[in-house]
Order: sequence, then C-alpha cells, then structure tokens
Amino acid sequence: MTLGSTTIKGNLRPKFTKEEAAFIKQELAEQIDRYKKIVAEQEALTPQREKWVKEFLERIQSRGFHVHAGLKRVIPKNEVRPRDGRPLQVIF
Amino acid sequence: MPRPHIEPFVDRDVGFKKLGLPGFRKGIQYKMLSMDKENGSCTMTVQYDAGFKQPPGFSYSEMELFIMEGHIMIGGKKCEKGTYIFAPAGTSLPAFSTSEGALGLVFYNFGPPSFQESDSDHQNADKSQQRKMISSYDGLDWQVPTLFPQTAPGCLLKILHLDPKTFGMTFLYCMVPGFWQDNISYHDVAEEAYHIWGTSWMMQFGDLPTGGYFYRPAYINHGCFKSDLGILAIGRTDGDLHNYFHHDPFSSPEENHHRAAAKLARMKPALYQWILTNEHNHLPHDFEFPDDTYSTEGYDSGIHMHDDGTSHAHKASGAHSHLNTPKISKKKSKK
Ligand SMILES: [Fe+2]
Repeated sequence: MTLGSTTIKGNLRPKFTKEEAAFIKQELAEQIDRYKKIVAEQEALTPQREKWVKEFLERIQSRGFHVHAGLKRVIPKNEVRPRDGRPLQVIF
Repeated sequence: MPRPHIEPFVDRDVGFKKLGLPGFRKGIQYKMLSMDKENGSCTMTVQYDAGFKQPPGFSYSEMELFIMEGHIMIGGKKCEKGTYIFAPAGTSLPAFSTSEGALGLVFYNFGPPSFQESDSDHQNADKSQQRKMISSYDGLDWQVPTLFPQTAPGCLLKILHLDPKTFGMTFLYCMVPGFWQDNISYHDVAEEAYHIWGTSWMMQFGDLPTGGYFYRPAYINHGCFKSDLGILAIGRTDGDLHNYFHHDPFSSPEENHHRAAAKLARMKPALYQWILTNEHNHLPHDFEFPDDTYSTEGYDSGIHMHDDGTSHAHKASGAHSHLNTPKISKKKSKK
C-alpha cells in the first residue's frame, strides 16, 4: 500500500530512470537489513513483552478497558480469550 | 506487501547520506525511513544544508514536506518549523532556500524522489487537488479526534491533509503527559508516524523516542499505549481510519481482518450483502468520480481461513463465495 492520495495512480514519469532504478535497488537492500535488525531486536524483547501483556490483562480486569474515549469497562475473566499456546508475534 | 512492517526504527541511530539523484541540487542529505518495493515511493528524513538553494520546480510524484527544525524560504515567504507543504504530482513549487539549514520529513507518494526544474506545471499535473502550505504550529488548533470509537482522552489531532477520495490523512498528533490507553488497536489501512518530540510506549514494541518512526501495514495489533511526558508526532494513513479496539494480545492479522469483515457485516449489512451478491462480480461505481474504475485484478485479498481449517491467499477475482465461510474456532486459529 502506498500512503498518500490515490487521485491519480502512479508517477508522472512511470518508467524509472537508470539512476532511480539504482537508488531504489540500493535502498531496498538496506531496508531488508533494517527489517532484519528490527525482527531480531523485537525477538529479544519477548520476555519483557510477555510481562507487559500479563500486566495489561490484569489491568483491564481491574482498572478497565478503554471502549471509547474515556469510557471504560472492566472485563470479566470469562471474556479474556484463552491463549491456547498462541505465539506473541508482533512484526509481520 | 509493497512496504514492509518497519517498527520501530529510530533515525537518530543512523547517519545522513547525500541525495545524489539527478535533478536535485547539492546540499540535501537524507535518511530513508521506508520505501515501497514496487514503485519506489518513500518517506525520508531530510537535512537541507545551510545555504541550500533550489530553483522553481516540480516532482513527478505527489509530495508532502513537513519542516521540523530551522526555517525555509519559499517564493520569498519565510516558513518556520511546523510548515506543511502538499504538492500534487507535477505542480511547480516556487524557489526554495534556507540560509541556516533545515530539518524536514518528506513523503513521495507515487514514486522515488524526483525534482524537475520548471516554473510551470507538468502538462499532466494532477489538477484534482490544490497545492497547500500550512503553518501548522500557530495556524491550526488541536482538536479532539472525531473517530468512533475514539482514542483515550489526551490524544489530540491537527489534520494537515485529507484525501478527498480515500480519506487517507496526514495529521499532527500529540499525547498529553500521563496519557494512557488500555486497549489494543488495528486498522484497515496502513499507518505511519514519526516522533518529532517525546517518547511513547506500546505493549508490542516498547518505547518510541524522539526520531522514532514506524510504517505499519493494516490489521497489525498495536497498543496498549502510554506516554509519561507527552509526545508530538506526525502521522499518515492511506485510507479511512477506523479504530478496531479489542483485548486479545495474541490475535493474528488474519483474525483481525476476519473480525473487521464481521464488523462490516454487522454495521453496514446492506452494503456488505450487496458486495457479496453474484459471487464477486459487483464492482462499484461512483457518480461523483465517474471516470474511476474499480477492479479486483491484482488485488491481494490476503490470507484467509476456511471452516475446514485450510487457509489460502487468492486474488479476489476467483469466483467463490465466502458467504458461508464462518468463524474460526479457537483450535483452528492456533498457529
Ligand atoms: Fe493506530
């Protein structure tokens, strides 16, 4: 998905110039490296994240869950979906 | 997926590179934040060096620029930090300069960065939208978001640009000190943001400090949220932003997508049923934009799951109905 408007589709110069093609190739290669680094960093955060999730699930059953603006609702235990071994994946 | 999920990325951790593409004048440095792998459209932090000058000209892509530090002169007008510029593809901007240098964010929405010197518009310039220059810090007031459901109290917006067709937005947002929101959110649209100042925290990704950036595709869980000292940020979406709030930290993007469709069926049943009638053959038509055509060709409807437990991705032109494709049971959602 491209951010921005879709009032027209694409560039007014649809074919990449040689320099643009080289620029994009280089930037995309670096982007893959950035992505891999993020995946590794976020993987390392898993134990901490598990703790944050546990605290969140406790808070919504005590202080409440934000339904809309300042409107909160305390979630009963039976409405907390069981984890059933599901992973906590955050980067897709 | 044309842009990957980049979250979080802190641009202060990396150095600037010189922008050497033909057309651009010397004196622009950049940090790439995200790039679309198909059309080269991208978001970058840019540093205009002191003394940088550029003649009038246009970009072949729609372009947005936000000035974060320093000031620039455009067509003899001094533009302070907080200036937001929207330039439809092919519309010429006046001469641009900065005596002391400036730091900005630039968005090229349809293609790679480009600059063509010209004091007139490209012959095929996009005339459906107007060039815009806004002094956002002193020219706009903070508003409570009018989204339903709404973010928690203490998150405020300034809308910089709203796309008339998609309702994609560019906006400033802030969180007041002590802001907190205990829910998990996702959207039907991609979302990107950059922290101009301050640190906020999300349960999935931890702290996002000043200079922190994310590009997050649709249906990915984010939140709960908090910020101890507050933040100022700029955000964008590529379509109408609906907050789908829930409290299952382990739901997958596929399940979130399913849930969004179920909500559509509940909230807009007439529209939902119309879309489903006659298999997938109903393509919409908008009398306001009669020349637009809508095709499902090439549209990746994403991975989805059937009640026999199989899941697949397909191009939406395949003629099978999902009317009776139902709930994913807890077991089947296990991955
Ligand atoms: Fe969001």
